[in-house]
Amino acid sequence: MRSADTPFVRSAARTDLDLHLRVNGRSHRIRAEARETLLDVLRERLGLFGTKKGCDHGQCGACTVLVDGRRVLSCLTLAAQAEHGAVTTVEGMVEHPVGRLVQAAFVAEDGLQCGYCTPGQIVSATACILEGAATSDEAIREAMSGNLCRCGAYPNIVAAVRSAAAVVERR
Amino acid sequence: MTDPTKRKHGDASDGALHLGSPLARVDGDRKVRGEAAYALDAAPAGLAHGVLVRGTIGAGTVLSVDAASARQSPGVLMVFTPFDTPVLGAPDSFLDGTPGEGPFHVFPASILHWGQAVAAVIAETRQQAETAAALLRIDYAPGDVVPSILSKDAGPGVPVGAVDIDRGDAEAALAGSVFRVEATYETPREYHVPIEPHGAVAWWEGDRLTVREPSQWIDAMARTYAGWFGIPFENVRLISHFVGGGFGSKVTAMTHGAVAALAARELGRPVKVAVTRAQNFTAHGGRAATRQTLRLGADADGRLKAIVQDGESETSVFVPFVEQLNAATSVMYDVPNLRSRQRLVHVNTVTPAHMRAPGKHPSAFGLESAIDELAHLAGIDPVELRLRNEAGFNPQTGQPWSSRRLREALVEGARRFGWKDRPAAPRSMRDADGAFLGWGVAAGLFPALDHFGEAGLRVDADGSIEVLSAGIDMGTGTYTILAQAAADALGVLPGDVTVRLGDSELPSGPLAGNSLLAGVMTGLVHKAAAAMRETIIGLALTEQGSPFRGSELNTLDITRGRIHPTLDEGRAVPIADLLKAIGRDRIERIEDNFPAGTSAQERHRIMTTVAGLRPPDGGVSSVASWCAHFVEVKVDEDFGTVRVRRVVSGFDCGRLYNPHLAASQFRGGIVMGIGQALLEGGRVDPRDGRIVNDNLGDYLIPTNADIPDIEVFSVGEPDFRAAPMGGKPVGEIGIVGVAPAICNAVFHATGQRIRRLPLDIAALLSTN
Repeated sequence: MRSADTPFVRSAARTDLDLHLRVNGRSHRIRAEARETLLDVLRERLGLFGTKKGCDHGQCGACTVLVDGRRVLSCLTLAAQAEHGAVTTVEGMVEHPVGRLVQAAFVAEDGLQCGYCTPGQIVSATACILEGAATSDEAIREAMSGNLCRCGAYPNIVAAVRSAAAVVERR
Repeated sequence: MTDPTKRKHGDASDGALHLGSPLARVDGDRKVRGEAAYALDAAPAGLAHGVLVRGTIGAGTVLSVDAASARQSPGVLMVFTPFDTPVLGAPDSFLDGTPGEGPFHVFPASILHWGQAVAAVIAETRQQAETAAALLRIDYAPGDVVPSILSKDAGPGVPVGAVDIDRGDAEAALAGSVFRVEATYETPREYHVPIEPHGAVAWWEGDRLTVREPSQWIDAMARTYAGWFGIPFENVRLISHFVGGGFGSKVTAMTHGAVAALAARELGRPVKVAVTRAQNFTAHGGRAATRQTLRLGADADGRLKAIVQDGESETSVFVPFVEQLNAATSVMYDVPNLRSRQRLVHVNTVTPAHMRAPGKHPSAFGLESAIDELAHLAGIDPVELRLRNEAGFNPQTGQPWSSRRLREALVEGARRFGWKDRPAAPRSMRDADGAFLGWGVAAGLFPALDHFGEAGLRVDADGSIEVLSAGIDMGTGTYTILAQAAADALGVLPGDVTVRLGDSELPSGPLAGNSLLAGVMTGLVHKAAAAMRETIIGLALTEQGSPFRGSELNTLDITRGRIHPTLDEGRAVPIADLLKAIGRDRIERIEDNFPAGTSAQERHRIMTTVAGLRPPDGGVSSVASWCAHFVEVKVDEDFGTVRVRRVVSGFDCGRLYNPHLAASQFRGGIVMGIGQALLEGGRVDPRDGRIVNDNLGDYLIPTNADIPDIEVFSVGEPDFRAAPMGGKPVGEIGIVGVAPAICNAVFHATGQRIRRLPLDIAALLSTN
């Protein structure tokens, strides 16, 4: 006879926190457990379901959001860690000067199919352009490789980032 | 010869049809804004969260589950174990609707594979449920495990029989052949890995169940829920507006859905069960591992005389799932003599499932690799060898092809790729940095199936026009092409049409599988929209209040949503205005393609089981899509790394309903094929059958940086024997033949044959 692994999580470790989050320019005061990730808080407590969970292990990029302009995997970020930052999710991209261009470029170039990885791709592509990483197709591929797309829209994603970056450049 | 991406937009004003034009994805805006609501993007009031617990033995029995601590853990509402989970009802057979195999035990105590679900915990939050799940103490009596097809004790397998082929006398023809090649090819377990994991949100209102769940086949899944819970089919509402990738993995209802619905019933509140990424490797099967030995014989001109195939595929110990290894082998080329045998090796795994191009991929990997070996042996260019063996009709069935433009794909692909400059000898092309380059080619096919269905069309006095179907869009473009099809037949613009999909309350749609949904549904929507057009014109001519009543016109036209006398657009009246004028709020039409006199009961059976699958064209002609892939690889022998540098692929998929979106699917298939060749394979622990790499850091799928430019082009022409609107399968063909094209290119670069996927860097290094 064999038994399951010894439990490694103790319920006593549970601690509630009062958090103040700024998401897409709006303030939210919430009570959450210390262990809750930014991804889970965005989705399950704030109802911002645009950000997706693909693996919960920081391996797929579907949950990518911006914190103070930097790309962050929200599944590997505790909500408490984002407390003093400005969080931007895909829902905030329509107001974002570069994000909006990226969204239009993804539709024009068909940089998506099922659309599930798309919120992460949009956020990541926006940051990629702002980081100055969209200098060539090769550079775009590298900078966008943290965002998996199982539908295989990669060539179209590169085309979308390239075209959005060109518009940003012209401005 | 059309480049799917470089066609001009057409609209009604230039007389072009919408169907066949490269309209942008109509649901694209919602997806890029994060507004497309997937199944788990819902939090109905009072939602509770469930997690599944996996068993940690490869075979045996659950002896006991100590759930005392778990039940006392904060927030826990319910724990299900093999010993206290209500037994669910028995759905009818998925195959044909006959009585099923008996009650559904959600968590059987008998363990047949590692990772089998053994318990579930429901709590106020997912974190609480996960914490409590870790507190369960599960005692097992482990049994003997056969971990995989590679295990020594897996045995030779059981003959399948049903897929055996004996055409002519293959052994004799092989013995008399001038050129003979023999090799064994292996493909690993592959996993669908949609980026959206499986999951469900379920709630009850009385004896009516609503489930939000990603689904490739709404009605079949709804039927299973009805059977489980002993309620009428009509009492189940399954909603799947957006599906975050399926690839064959989201066709049937599964344990997680049963748990969500069961817990929701017991608790009287909505329950969400999210399957974790790791659990997705054991909650449902991926593609079966396969192994096949091929012997090919050809005459002095390279004309195939014989193929002898002997293979095995893996399946579970409880379901004889067949990954058909001769799916391509038997029909690709004109071979007078063919013998094919396949066995099933039963091991302790979750039952494998259909995955994008089931059978066709491993079949083509073997055949198209062996053809390359034959070409090399015979000293014949591999494109030329394929052209010499073109089949004028289906060599397996004797049927004429409805269309087969593989020759055009090969010839045009070779031209675009620059194939004529390819030196025949391996190890004769180098990049500027000294690394080897190699060029490879392979072909593929995807046989079509047809299905039945319904399509609804609704026109409202408020101006809205809706297409209604329980069929789904998992990124395949259904929303878009059905708007295009409706627009043409009704006489409106695609932008005027709202397509509603993925809800079992809508008219019944076929499964999104075997790449058949687009062909079936464009035909049905065209039919419904054409009927609607006739209805509207009839009303305009006859109804009181219509400005056209009594005009002595025989008929009217509808152009850009306005009704007018055929040669007089100046007197046009918008459809909505006509409806208001004649006092109608709404007109609805539902059209179907069932044989006349089909009973409601038979319709239900056809639409909810695989009994509805049928050959296209009434079985008169053989219908398949065809493709040819040309690949350049760069191989660094110091590191054993292989990079795909360039892909040019030609497709014959008949008429493309939307070349822009079809090109995306072609590329997507090719990307998955690159993964199959270079990256993907389940690693099985030889002790207990555990999938070791059950995460996206270890089961590698292609990243953006792995993918080069991919040029796709269409050589297809409308094929109205294949489907009412002239198209052939699109969604799966792209994957077929990619892996052998890459491996053939690696041979050309290095002189080494890759006969086992994924390509093993160590193997590539070891002989250098």
